Amino acid sequence: MLQIGFSSPAPQIDGALVLLVEEDAALGGVGAQADAATGGAIGRALAAAEFKGKAAQSTTVLAPGGFARVVAVGLGKPAGRTALQFEQAGGHAAAALTRQTEAVIDAGALTAEQAASVALGAVLRAWRFDRYRTKEKPEDKPRLVSLTLLVADPEAARAAWAGLAPVAEGCFITRELVSEPANVLTPVVMAERAATLAKLGLEVEVLDEHAMKKLGFGALLGVAQGSHNPPRMVVLKWPGKSGRGNQLDKPIAFIGKGVTFDTGGISIKPAAGMEDMKWDMAGAGTVIGLMAALAGRGAPVDAVGLVGLVENMPGGNAQRPGDVVTSYSGQTVEVLNTDAEGRLVLADVIWYCQQHFAPRFMVDLATLTGAMIVALGHEHAGMFATDEALAGQLLAAGIAVGEKLWRMPLGEEYDKQLKSDIADMKNITGRPGSAITAAHFIGRFTNSVPWAHLDIAGVAWSTKDAACVPKGATAWGVRLLDRLVRDCCEG
Amino acid sequence: MKPRFAKAAHPDAVEVRPLLEGGFIPEAARASGFAARAGQACELWLDRRLLLVGVGPAWDERGAERAGALAVARLAGVARIAIDARRLAPDLVTGLAMGALLRAWREDRYRHSPADAALALARIEMIVDRPRVARADWRRTGAVLRGVRWARRAVTAPSNRLTPALFCKALRKLERLGLELTVLKPGALRREGFGALCAVGGGSVHGPRLAVLRWRGRRRRGSAAGDNGRRGGAPLVFCGKGITFDTGGISIKPADHMWEMRADMAGAAACVGAMIALARRDSEAHVVAVLALAENATGGGSYRPGDVLRSVDGTTIEVIDTDAEGRLVLADALGWAARELAPRALIDLATLTGSIVTALGHERAGLFDNDAALAARIVAAGEAVGERVWRMPIGERHRADLRSDIADIAQCARGRMQPDACQAAALLAEFVGEVPWAHLDIAGVEARAEADDRHAAGASGFGVRLLDRLVARWCEQGGGCADAADGRDG
Repeated sequence: MLQIGFSSPAPQIDGALVLLVEEDAALGGVGAQADAATGGAIGRALAAAEFKGKAAQSTTVLAPGGFARVVAVGLGKPAGRTALQFEQAGGHAAAALTRQTEAVIDAGALTAEQAASVALGAVLRAWRFDRYRTKEKPEDKPRLVSLTLLVADPEAARAAWAGLAPVAEGCFITRELVSEPANVLTPVVMAERAATLAKLGLEVEVLDEHAMKKLGFGALLGVAQGSHNPPRMVVLKWPGKSGRGNQLDKPIAFIGKGVTFDTGGISIKPAAGMEDMKWDMAGAGTVIGLMAALAGRGAPVDAVGLVGLVENMPGGNAQRPGDVVTSYSGQTVEVLNTDAEGRLVLADVIWYCQQHFAPRFMVDLATLTGAMIVALGHEHAGMFATDEALAGQLLAAGIAVGEKLWRMPLGEEYDKQLKSDIADMKNITGRPGSAITAAHFIGRFTNSVPWAHLDIAGVAWSTKDAACVPKGATAWGVRLLDRLVRDCCEG
Repeated sequence: MKPRFAKAAHPDAVEVRPLLEGGFIPEAARASGFAARAGQACELWLDRRLLLVGVGPAWDERGAERAGALAVARLAGVARIAIDARRLAPDLVTGLAMGALLRAWREDRYRHSPADAALALARIEMIVDRPRVARADWRRTGAVLRGVRWARRAVTAPSNRLTPALFCKALRKLERLGLELTVLKPGALRREGFGALCAVGGGSVHGPRLAVLRWRGRRRRGSAAGDNGRRGGAPLVFCGKGITFDTGGISIKPADHMWEMRADMAGAAACVGAMIALARRDSEAHVVAVLALAENATGGGSYRPGDVLRSVDGTTIEVIDTDAEGRLVLADALGWAARELAPRALIDLATLTGSIVTALGHERAGLFDNDAALAARIVAAGEAVGERVWRMPIGERHRADLRSDIADIAQCARGRMQPDACQAAALLAEFVGEVPWAHLDIAGVEARAEADDRHAAGASGFGVRLLDRLVARWCEQGGGCADAADGRDG
């Protein structure tokens, strides 16, 4: 992770400097000093570039006076500004600094919290998954390793940053898991990586295929049986309120779909774009990153994260369209399409969750349906919820961190489409409304515990850079759910 | 078919008795498992043939409609039914009748001879305490039913019987209700700059039309007849997509199910149905319907992918897919309406995208808007009449997806798996300016593949009742389109 430091404004600055400028405002503080020191060169350059300080506007001035570069980043107008705008400014700054090893951001006019937000945005943007590049020349690599924010009260800023840094770490755990190729990240490997988080104080339990067979996880195991890579279920417990070694007391629960690769199984997918299916475990990756974030910042809450990890392959023992499986809940499912496997995995894990933990509420995340992408695109994830209060809290948390949700409907008329001729339900319906009927399928395994389902198929991976999220794995949901916990579940 | 209101059932009629859950239930019915739950029905012989239908634990208007529909669904092949509606409040009596009549609807004009038993139902009687009062109560609901039937008939009409010109001919007949009709033909459309509508209609020998249907609102009491006495004020404007047949054009559709595209004018039909309802019940509201009528055919004069069109407000649009024609004709209709009619609000209805069917299925229409208050009114009106809608987003990304390299805007995004319903709404939003606007994507709800206990098979007339109820709630009490809760009116 990019190193972050906070210090008081120094009398002498050189190297790379970032100025945060409000819309239509003159340079102030360090910016004004630097402009004077360069004989007005910075101001003239910004004027020539028509830099107005608008949000998302950023201009780089190369080598004015004694500086290597000066980057001006717009903050927009102060009215209605939230932490999000400061994060985005930090992100734009980091994007403009890849050719520097270190840089200074003048945050003297900002509060400690705002400065920490700038740092968070920069850190999130500067992340890169570099494990498999072996031939890239050093001069082609992004070089930024440390960033110092000049603030009025460095102590306060450090304290604010201490609450945010673990969330960034959680996002990186998620992004890394999601970025890993499927030949590396099998269910067993993913479970091992999750187990390393015990160092943060999480209590980790891993169930292998034998344990799951004994419990009767027929739905999850049916998906797994076509692959040579055996499945796992991982339970991550965070007793932030009850204390280590104690039973969790009505924890909040997060459940993730972790299909480490999804070929579709016997109902095999078309070849074009199938490589994207390595990130069909993004829901599970998000839950793991989230639990790391909660543990890392010592959240005073009891929480549990559960992930069902399988690979969906068309092996000789793969389940067939038409098979009937018996889920852990006892309900039977006619598998009409082996590519609708995520809901089968979630069915058993969610039933296990409510049986063993009596949770206050459950939120599941899954890259579940293509229909969700056709419905909403890539700006919102779809939210299905049975609990009005939880739905409202999730919507608000999403707006606060810029991971937006759009609520989708549930209803009896959709649920009844799951009727099967020979089992309790079938695992697919026709294409119309199929993200909704998928949600209803999962809902049948919640046993009326307050629940929300987030279909993140359109937001887990991005083909474009955003202010605080480089293209690729987004870790969408880690910040949203961390925010939900902070705002609604602690204390 | 009209309901007949009488004090007693005709001797040949099968009697229908709606019953409340927890109320009196004949022993024989109870023994067979009938508990009067909503959706339950049970047939008995008690002196005569009798059908008991369950209403559920309490009466309401929607439950009454459901019970009326269920009765008709279960009595297929019966010529005459009589529904016992004694001791019920007026809205429940009309609800029962409305439910029964909507469920009993079918289109027979294209059959040479009656084909099956369902055709037998000839008479629905409502047994009430005071027939004269019930008949008066029915007038308002009956007007709405007439509107729904017109819309269903139009949606069902095959495209060789309903070209844009024939659609306008059918509208002419509505002038006797007091609706004013203006029709712009291709020459006028070209002169006025309807570049998008003309392009879409250019492939067909049946040229496009823009039809404007106006209801000025009921005469004020005591004032002289004629236009001067009618309610003025800014109109509420409906816009309807009226593609009388959609082949897809040069971006032609697959043959499978293409016949369904005769219903691609369901948005326009719903607008007309609502206008009929308002006129027949003499609404006091000032409402205009603007209908963009064209046939999207493949022909030597068809428009092409890659063409750039100039819409009526001057915006240039790059065509990506000639099968995304609905948004083009609506762009012209909305742009024109926003400029020429000074609307208080614009509401368009269109069978616009397959994307909305994937998103919401056949149970709800998609609602897009630029005005949360208007959207809330539409959601509430839809819930009240059982034409349910779900609000959907227009995000910044959706608009950004429509960037064109050579024109002001691209008609749709390129590539597969696009949120086309949201993107189409983002395109339409460009043409309404600051006018409060809502767009109902009714693809998926305009017709039903199969009948069930609640719905007839085929065209639904979706939107007629919603718009009628919206006008009744928003524009009628308190005079004109004024509404104390709405800050825009002065």
